[in-house]
Amino acid sequence: MKPAAFDYVRAGSVAEAAALLAEGAPDARLLAGGQSLGPMLNLRLARPARLIDLKRAAGLRDVMADETTLRIGAGWTHAEIEDGAVEDPARGMLRHVARGIAYRAVRNRGTLGGSLAHADPAADWVAVMAALGAAIVAQRAGGAERRIAAEGFVRGAFATALAPGEVLAAVEIPRLSPKARWGYHKVCRKTGEFAKAIGVAMLDPARGMSRVLAGAVEAAPVLLPHTAARLAEAGPDAAAAIVAEETGAALPHLSPAERALRAVAVRRALAQLDGG
Amino acid sequence: MDGGAARLPGTRAIVLSVNGADHTLLVEPRTHLADALREQLNLTGTHLGCEQGVCGACTVLIDGVPQRSCIAYAVECEGSRVTTVEGFDADETMAALREAFAAHHALQCGFCTPGMLITARDIVLRLGAAEDARIREELSGNLCRCTGYVGIVDAVAAVAAGRTPAPAVAAREPAPLAAAPLPVAGASAPAAAPSAPMTGGGAMLEETVHLAAPPDAAWAALSDLRRVADCLPGAQIDTVDGERVAGSVALALGPIKARFAGEGTVHLDPATRSGRLRGAGREGASRAEGEASWTVAPGAAGGSDLTVRLSWRLTGPLAQFGRAALVQDLVRRIAQDFARNLDALVAGEPAPAARPLGLLAMLWALLRGWLSGRR
Repeated sequence: MKPAAFDYVRAGSVAEAAALLAEGAPDARLLAGGQSLGPMLNLRLARPARLIDLKRAAGLRDVMADETTLRIGAGWTHAEIEDGAVEDPARGMLRHVARGIAYRAVRNRGTLGGSLAHADPAADWVAVMAALGAAIVAQRAGGAERRIAAEGFVRGAFATALAPGEVLAAVEIPRLSPKARWGYHKVCRKTGEFAKAIGVAMLDPARGMSRVLAGAVEAAPVLLPHTAARLAEAGPDAAAAIVAEETGAALPHLSPAERALRAVAVRRALAQLDGG
Repeated sequence: MDGGAARLPGTRAIVLSVNGADHTLLVEPRTHLADALREQLNLTGTHLGCEQGVCGACTVLIDGVPQRSCIAYAVECEGSRVTTVEGFDADETMAALREAFAAHHALQCGFCTPGMLITARDIVLRLGAAEDARIREELSGNLCRCTGYVGIVDAVAAVAAGRTPAPAVAAREPAPLAAAPLPVAGASAPAAAPSAPMTGGGAMLEETVHLAAPPDAAWAALSDLRRVADCLPGAQIDTVDGERVAGSVALALGPIKARFAGEGTVHLDPATRSGRLRGAGREGASRAEGEASWTVAPGAAGGSDLTVRLSWRLTGPLAQFGRAALVQDLVRRIAQDFARNLDALVAGEPAPAARPLGLLAMLWALLRGWLSGRR
């Protein structure tokens, strides 16, 4: 339970981290909170030659906003989001989701950006950011940025759309309007463990937004556009009626039991929309 | 210890603030905080149970909030304030918790108690008089194997009674967001529907991939293991002796990178265009053994269908860490890469750009090692 030897360096800025990452490829690894990477290091499943510690990088905790969007630096912890230390542009959804991540001691160290970049498909933020239509901001050495739609960001288990040498610097989340409603349901056998299934439902008529997502847990989450369209037209009950069919079509590789679990999670998320 | 002391390779001196005093320690980057506290400062109240962030026995305060000292490295904590269970002598809340733990029989063997106390203090100070259900939820990251938690919950509730929650945190005031939004890439990346159903739930699965090549050409390519290995960057066949093969496969899944080396036996049956590979390999303390069988059949609309059935058994750290579903996703991606590469091979195209996994990998990895399945 002791990691293999690695070198350690602190990055002073995101751009410096990106430069160190490019220089150290392919055996350098970024370290934020380390709450997923740490166990892999201790079990020697991951044996990077060098860890580049982002925690104190300048700019990683910036928060910026305009009327439509909130940009949250990647370095904020789950516990800080839970506590409201950053504004929640999703009308309480981020705080609710944050509280359900692992345990408080892990939330106090693990970060929003670290969780997204790690891309465990069972993780909460991967599903939530895709459902919200958020954008992932990637920065490379030199400081150039690009945005990646969260719904296409996770390509599979532990695989993301980040290019080699890119650092996940921030997340841009659209603000929900005051009458928006959301539902989030996670199937877990034990508090704090990784989800067995995740369902997310969003309805924001003022913005013309209706999105439903099934967290796939073993692979990238999938949006359910037919269910979302039905939700916008006819409400949560009508949408719930077609969830099983669309989940089955979107996730044909799952066993019937696994598909049923996804459908249940999505229906329960839809049910939370009732009554505002 | 000063820089003149004999240093192990890779060690460095750091200054760690522990229980209010600065200490200079000589640590390797891989030394986790709990080991530094226990081995160098003799603060053995911090207990190590799982060393993978699950059990909570090693919970300490870092910058005033509970964190796991087994998955925080000492070098990361330079510049932070660490408080261990030994550092609460003057703390009124902790004194009350110690009394309550005794009064409510909240411990038996005591192994989990240091972490429990630090978590309990956080619950009391942060949430005030919380209900039992919330206390249980908050304690869920600290495992106790003696008490059934009843006494612990009672002790925390007794100390929390009558207290008020910590004041709400003020949200950081956002700076103005720069105008001129950047273009968003991949805005409508559809969830790629897998090409074929896959059955199996953990240690066994089947995947069918479609190849553009006709069955005979696909089979011919698949029959030459060395050529197949060429399709698969990371796979390497060292020796082929009749039906016995030896080699290795390098796999990558996120931060997990592994090279499984092993041996196996291959049996090919041209009459049915089917093959079977049984093998076993090892990578560090992880061991994998398994079997892969594959069949090439004519495709319904031309080309051919390659069906691969895999079964494997994994032991060691990878198995401990493993989540079977993640392996399935990895296998599916490997299969898709493999089909692409194999088609290119049959068509006589140059080997595809290097990627960490290939289909062959499927044969080898899964076979031998699925293992790296996780990364």
